[in-house]
Amino acid sequence: MKPAPFDYYSPDTLEEAVALLAKLENEDLDAKILAGGQSLMPMLSLRLARPDALVDLRKIGALDYIREDGDTIAIGAMTSKSAAEDSDVIRTRQPLFHEATLLVGHRQIRNRGTVGGSFAHAEPTAEYGAAAMVLGMDMKVVGPNGERIVPAKDFYVTYLTADIDSTEILTEVRLPVLKKGTGWSFQEMSRRQGDHALAGAAVTLRLVGGVCKDVCIAVFGVNASPTRLAEAEAFITGKAATEDNAREAGRVGADGLEEPMSDVHATAQYRRGLIATLVARCLVEAASRAS
Amino acid sequence: MSIEIPGLPEDMPGAELKYVGKDVKRIEDPGLVAGTVEFIDNLDLPNMAHCAMLRSPHPHARITGYDTSAAEALPGVVAVITGEDVKRWANPVTTAPEGWGSYCLAVDKVRFVGEPVVAVAAESRYIAEDALELVNVEYELLPVAATAEEAIKEGAPRLFEENESNVILSKTYDWGDVDQVFADADHVVSETFFWNRVGANPMETFGCVSTWDTVNNSLTIHGSFQTPGFMALGRAFSLNLPTNKVKVVSHPHGGSFGGKGGPRGSEISSLLSRKAGGRAVKYIEDRVEYLLAGAGQSWDRYYDASLALKADGTVTGFKVKLLDDQGAGAEGYGTISIAKPIAAFTGCYRIEAARYDLNVVATNRAPTYPYRGYGPPPHNYVLESLMDIAAQKLGLDVAEIRRRNYIPPEAFPYTIPSGNEYDSGQYEVTLDAALELADYEALREEQARAREEGRLLGIGVCSVVEPGVFDWNAYTTVGIQGVGVPEGAKVSVDIMGQITVTVGFSLEGQGQYTLAAQLVADFFGVDMAGVRVAYAATDVAPPHFGPGGSRLGVSITGAVLGACRKIEEKFKLVTARLMQCEPAALELADGFVRIKGVPGAEMHIAQVAGTMLARSDLLPPGMEQSPEATYVWTAPGRTEPDEQGRCKSYLTAANACHVVMVEIDPGTGRTDILKYCVADDCGTRLNPATVEGQLMGGIAQGIGAALFEEYVYTDDGQPKVSTFAEYLVPTIHEVPKTDKAVIVTPSPFTPLGAKGCGEGAIHTTPAVIMCAINDALLPLGVQARATPASPNRVWDLLQQAK
Ligand SMILES: Cc1cc2nc3c(=O)[nH]c(=O)nc-3n(C[C@H](O)[C@H](O)[C@H](O)COP(=O)(O)OP(=O)(O)OC[C@H]3O[C@@H](n4cnc5c(N)ncnc54)[C@H](O)[C@@H]3O)c2cc1C
Repeated sequence: MKPAPFDYYSPDTLEEAVALLAKLENEDLDAKILAGGQSLMPMLSLRLARPDALVDLRKIGALDYIREDGDTIAIGAMTSKSAAEDSDVIRTRQPLFHEATLLVGHRQIRNRGTVGGSFAHAEPTAEYGAAAMVLGMDMKVVGPNGERIVPAKDFYVTYLTADIDSTEILTEVRLPVLKKGTGWSFQEMSRRQGDHALAGAAVTLRLVGGVCKDVCIAVFGVNASPTRLAEAEAFITGKAATEDNAREAGRVGADGLEEPMSDVHATAQYRRGLIATLVARCLVEAASRAS
Repeated sequence: MSIEIPGLPEDMPGAELKYVGKDVKRIEDPGLVAGTVEFIDNLDLPNMAHCAMLRSPHPHARITGYDTSAAEALPGVVAVITGEDVKRWANPVTTAPEGWGSYCLAVDKVRFVGEPVVAVAAESRYIAEDALELVNVEYELLPVAATAEEAIKEGAPRLFEENESNVILSKTYDWGDVDQVFADADHVVSETFFWNRVGANPMETFGCVSTWDTVNNSLTIHGSFQTPGFMALGRAFSLNLPTNKVKVVSHPHGGSFGGKGGPRGSEISSLLSRKAGGRAVKYIEDRVEYLLAGAGQSWDRYYDASLALKADGTVTGFKVKLLDDQGAGAEGYGTISIAKPIAAFTGCYRIEAARYDLNVVATNRAPTYPYRGYGPPPHNYVLESLMDIAAQKLGLDVAEIRRRNYIPPEAFPYTIPSGNEYDSGQYEVTLDAALELADYEALREEQARAREEGRLLGIGVCSVVEPGVFDWNAYTTVGIQGVGVPEGAKVSVDIMGQITVTVGFSLEGQGQYTLAAQLVADFFGVDMAGVRVAYAATDVAPPHFGPGGSRLGVSITGAVLGACRKIEEKFKLVTARLMQCEPAALELADGFVRIKGVPGAEMHIAQVAGTMLARSDLLPPGMEQSPEATYVWTAPGRTEPDEQGRCKSYLTAANACHVVMVEIDPGTGRTDILKYCVADDCGTRLNPATVEGQLMGGIAQGIGAALFEEYVYTDDGQPKVSTFAEYLVPTIHEVPKTDKAVIVTPSPFTPLGAKGCGEGAIHTTPAVIMCAINDALLPLGVQARATPASPNRVWDLLQQAK
């Protein structure tokens, strides 16, 4: 369990890092960005990833921030997940993102793992994927041709793949604050506390005259990428979030899923069952928080 | 000279015990906290090379060729060995029944994924792993026997082709008239059970540094060894060295639980050292290696079992048919794990007759090794589940059916049908203590209310005997030669009166160094902080076995007290001569040898020891100038097994009753433990804090086996577990707080009345959690019969129930 040989760089600025990535690409070398290393280091040690070079972003202090910008919160890619967890701004203004953060691994992992790393890594089981989909987050990506903004719905390409080119760096993620009156819920099922979720769901909705409006449901841990459940959203919209309606919405959502993943902990069928349960529970909880 | 060892704490010399029986802080801990303990990976020997192993990707294949030339040419590579070297230099391990042991590296064929095939020593582990990528091994794939069921089929691929089949052992033990008892029964309950593979996962994996002295043709292995003497002996046999030319130095290790097997790792690094002309070679097993092919897999079993019952709930017979998957041979003394249940086959109950029908089979899974508890945890899960099934059948409460069948206190010492003798116990007292702690009636009321709301609450009540202090005779009937298990200690008093205890085992976590210091301090009446406990390597240590079989606490107590007694006698002879009195007039207390009843007529032990070492002229004629003594303790009254395996094997029978309440989430299949109560009787508690620690650890591992842990294999023999992302060990979050009650029924046979308690709760926890889960599922008409009751498995059952 020792990595294969690689070259190591740790540029001081974003500009240097971008230039370095372009240079390595030109030389036909495979470079990987190193952020918190919580996913990449194990992959290197298992020799599942064997890049020629690592470009470590840890010295680039300019990528470590949490900023309020009107009704948007901007988080620098190199901000640790524990900083996001501890942020009053995030907790009070976007509690769903706060809750999602708490469910990422253990505190030790959140201390080292970065917010940007979780988005860039695009693991199917990442809580942030579902958060991004329901909140409609935007990702800022910087490369040799300058910066571009990628909305969440386009960001997740497939298993472990986000829309970031090999010469680009994810520099910031942006989330809208929770609108007044919006109810939300974020729930997952994992085998032990801190484990990757077997399945999870995130919901936001409003209640107008006792019925659900503006419902967003996203699930993670079941397919290659986080997924919006349009059919379940449509089903519950205009209905009260009773236990029965919620259960039926969960079933509709689960039935509409592409065949879920299967592994030692959970079969595809079980994952589908979990989604039915979790979506239903999230809808009821979100409705109880809406005003 | 016959040495009388105190049978109870009150038999110790001196008036008052300051340490024994008290929650004493462990002397091992400051070094662990400060980081000054030398774990094996901290050891750097001069000019040391590092080992990495190429492992088989195939469950079953013939090796048709090697090409190691590119690896050998890589700068930094020191030595490469293959099965060819091993065939020339080594033998298969001797810890398996004849014909079922493997060589340390695959010879001619591979039998499981992860089996070491080629090993490299290089200047660094990095280079060694780079070199592995340059090795080419050619395989011819063979058909696979992926499960025990497949492996016993006619025409199944044979793992050990010299043997007639894959059956390592097929045997039926019959104790009493089983057929008659079943014929006479009013009811018979039967069920089948799967216990899926689990095992030890110490925080530190195995590691060693081997140095082959090519001049003296001798070998020194530093490593994280649980049983150093036994390891040295085994390596001498497999590496063709005289037994006195293998020295093992056991370093403190981060847990073991049976998983520090290490025969392969130590042999491979030794042979690399030999090939490298005597350079030290370090091997540190990593977690992937450990999980794939280390000594961490155990107990892979299918049971078909029945109880014979009378109408009043009396259990008269117990039949167990076991199909045991040992994996690729029996190198890891895996057969022992099927034999240990014989020591407490019928649990806490007076059952007249029993049958144990064994089929122990080799498959293309990793070989199994010992794990804490050594086999009874699955057996207890079967027996206790059947007790619950019997209770349901008869409409009895699960606590009541147990109560009706306990061996009564006056029946001890009690010989069970399978031959072992239980020393003492008060099973009903333990049960009542646990029920009271849990407020059992209130729990049942809560359950009834919850059921009305559609919640799935379940309660488990299990009573179990935890055999302790194993002996050589326990395993001889399953093809493992009985090696003795003497435990020795040397106690020395120096010229300043300072006392050192020397033992043959190193730190593993159970706190036996503390125990040795407690005993010596109380025996001589000195300050415990002044007592030093030292480790001796196998070449100089007294005969020893080390921790294992819930043995060391009792056996080291015997050894230390025996040695202290010998010194006490010498000190009394010397003092009697100097004080001109009879030795019998003297007593040992508070660090002095005194004339009883004569205030001030005393000599401090420093004076006595000092005199012994410095003034030969003052000693009784012929006395050795040696204020030290070695004593090797062994269990009294051990007997040779008869043809049905019956013998006095385990000296002590501890007993516990666990009462647990769980709740199953119907939407996810997840089980939460709401209440966990334990009443536990392991005789005299020498250091209650340590007993509690052992208990908690056993509960944690039991929870792992019941709910989380499983070595999963595909249908074609590929392991699906290679990291801790797949193999889930419970963490602090998954292990609940427990309420505990202490019952003390001293053993009449052991030093100070203590019983083996090291393995402890793992004997009981899996059973009680499974029973609680099944109690929760009862209204739905489905039952969980496979461990672990993972959320997915339980969810599947919930769907069946719909
Ligand atoms: C025990 C354990 C439990 C965990 N549990 C969870 C969990 O429950 N939920 C969860 O979501 N995650 C979990 N994780 C993963 C963890 O959250 C990782 O921290 C995260 O996936 C990656 O963040 P990182 O900063 O460590 O990135 P790294 O490991 O350094 O990098 C990960 C990948 O992202 C790329 N990358 C990183 N930063 C950037 C960037 N700014 N621009 C472009 N590419 C970049 C890297 O090149 C690499 O490919 C767990 C990890 C562990 C070890």
